[in-house]
Amino acid sequence: MVERRPVSVSGIGLLSPAGIGLEGLVGGEEGGTVPGFRARNYVSDRKSLKLMTTAVQLGVSAVQIALDDDGEWGTIPPDRRGIYVGASPQTGDPDALRPALEASVGPDGFDMKRFASDGFPLIHPLWLVRGLSNNIIGFAAAIHDLQGVNANYCDGVDGGINALREGALAVAEGRADLVVAGGADAWSGASALLGGQACGDGAAFVVFRAGGNDVLPEIDALASAVRSGAFLGSATAPVAFCKNLLMSR
Amino acid sequence: MSDVVITGVGVLSAAGIGYCALADALADGRLCGSAYETALPVTQVAQIPAPVSSVPEFKDDRKAWLALAALDEALADSRGLGDGRVSVFLGTGLSSVTPSELEEDAYPHLMADGRGFDRSALLADLASDRASPHRHDPARVTSAIARRVGARGPCGTSFSACAAAAQAIGEGLRAIRRGDADVAVVGGHDSMIHPFGMLSFIVLGALSPTACRPFDGHRDGFMIGEGAAILVLERAKYAEARGARVRARLLGAGTSVDGYAATAPQPEGLGAEAAMRAALRDADIRPEQIDYVNAHATGTPVGDTAEAAAIQRVVPNAKVSSIKGAVGHTIAAAGAIEAAACVAALERGFLPGTAGLQTVDGQMSVDVLHAPIASAPEVVMSNSFGFGGQNASLVFGRAEVQSG
Repeated sequence: MVERRPVSVSGIGLLSPAGIGLEGLVGGEEGGTVPGFRARNYVSDRKSLKLMTTAVQLGVSAVQIALDDDGEWGTIPPDRRGIYVGASPQTGDPDALRPALEASVGPDGFDMKRFASDGFPLIHPLWLVRGLSNNIIGFAAAIHDLQGVNANYCDGVDGGINALREGALAVAEGRADLVVAGGADAWSGASALLGGQACGDGAAFVVFRAGGNDVLPEIDALASAVRSGAFLGSATAPVAFCKNLLMSR
Repeated sequence: MSDVVITGVGVLSAAGIGYCALADALADGRLCGSAYETALPVTQVAQIPAPVSSVPEFKDDRKAWLALAALDEALADSRGLGDGRVSVFLGTGLSSVTPSELEEDAYPHLMADGRGFDRSALLADLASDRASPHRHDPARVTSAIARRVGARGPCGTSFSACAAAAQAIGEGLRAIRRGDADVAVVGGHDSMIHPFGMLSFIVLGALSPTACRPFDGHRDGFMIGEGAAILVLERAKYAEARGARVRARLLGAGTSVDGYAATAPQPEGLGAEAAMRAALRDADIRPEQIDYVNAHATGTPVGDTAEAAAIQRVVPNAKVSSIKGAVGHTIAAAGAIEAAACVAALERGFLPGTAGLQTVDGQMSVDVLHAPIASAPEVVMSNSFGFGGQNASLVFGRAEVQSG
């Protein structure tokens, strides 16, 4: 068996349908977007913002808030700072495909050959790249020089739990001294996909460090604690975890 | 710390269906690409040269079919999994968004005036049985395999671009070491050989318009491939107790992030170097013990240069090759197929060559193999590096090799 040290949380970044930080503690059960959220308040590079979907903007912003809350993350060497993320594939804006689809119409309707020859050149080069699920890691690591252990999970609600658990274990097992872990997703307006269930946007990340009161048991208990409230995809469990932490502060 | 052994391998690749097809092709130094007719600037792809059975549960999702076929072979190869606790970790990619899905799901909802999509109709259609939102859920295959093998341990779906499968294999290793599982079914699967899949790489300038030539001075991009590989990992004592045959050992895994840019690799290979060093530490293996590195080397100008520099700094005496000239770049499956290639090299006693390579880039000072050679490697490394800067390295040993 692998030896473990206790792991505690030193920073919290919470964006939920109820609000940002402490404002996000109460309410939001009906889902929706994050009130008052503006990515440009957290991401200074405007060019990067254009390459981020809403979920990625939420995730990168929550990482920023969590590290700011930690305050001393910069003292840890970059190769000892890790990042674990739960996220969904970030499908690009369907309207961005419109010109390509229009160009693909033949006498009998949609024509795949026309799509290949005439439609493709009209699609933005980064349409699919924007859809990569691991873009939160790519952008957050570049901004904060996080060079250590990492993983990106695409398992719906379980993805957020996996990210929290594996991130905490990376610190517990000594493979990192600081790990940012959590999840982000943007499901507002998608309740039709889920039979009318309340859906929302959200992101929540924590900073794990060695020592203090061990939070691993709380993470292991998350699976049974996140089955109520609005569906936030990969952010569901991290949002619940962060709410619990903030309420106990 | 528990030793982890590999007791089953299943592979579908451009070399054919089955682990032996891959091993034979690499030992023979065969090029497995084939011509591809398209209006796009792509001349060669690395397709599986045989029909693959479709799976009704996964309509249109070829990569799922590949994973389930590889699973069948891996489970037969390992002669079951015993009664222990099983985990499943898979690497997967974006490939489920195919042109036919686009045609069925999105195009019908383009509004008559062409100004946009009827989003409510689109959402309603996606929610219907015909186009369930879960159709695009990357975790579906992981879940299907978990059900099939009766998984009771941790499970996960790694979505780390081209590092996904190697990351998943590392997750399985850790689950066994922690005692969370006795067995881990791990691997990766992907299939992007369709116009929409190739588009993203073409516009990024990553696909070769001519031929894939990893490490070559005239390399101009990679050859897109498809495939899947599933490996059965077991705690060594568990495998021994159930009488399983050991093909090789998984000695260690390491990850890193470039932390450089979300859309470009760190040009000096510092991230790659960090992953390789982390894997060596994890395996408790000294750099001079590495006989061979299965490089990520896809044939792109920037990526190969950065990796060669990292290899030169970390394991300067190792032989190096890339199998992507032979079986193409299988994206999210690459780390798993190349893990299978490493197992084959250790079992059969050879080192794969670099199909397509003519003249090694003069700026590289690593010992790149053009053709396969007979050898008896004891410890080998496999690299997988992904878009977004995620890097993963794995260290494998011959069946009788121990860490340290």
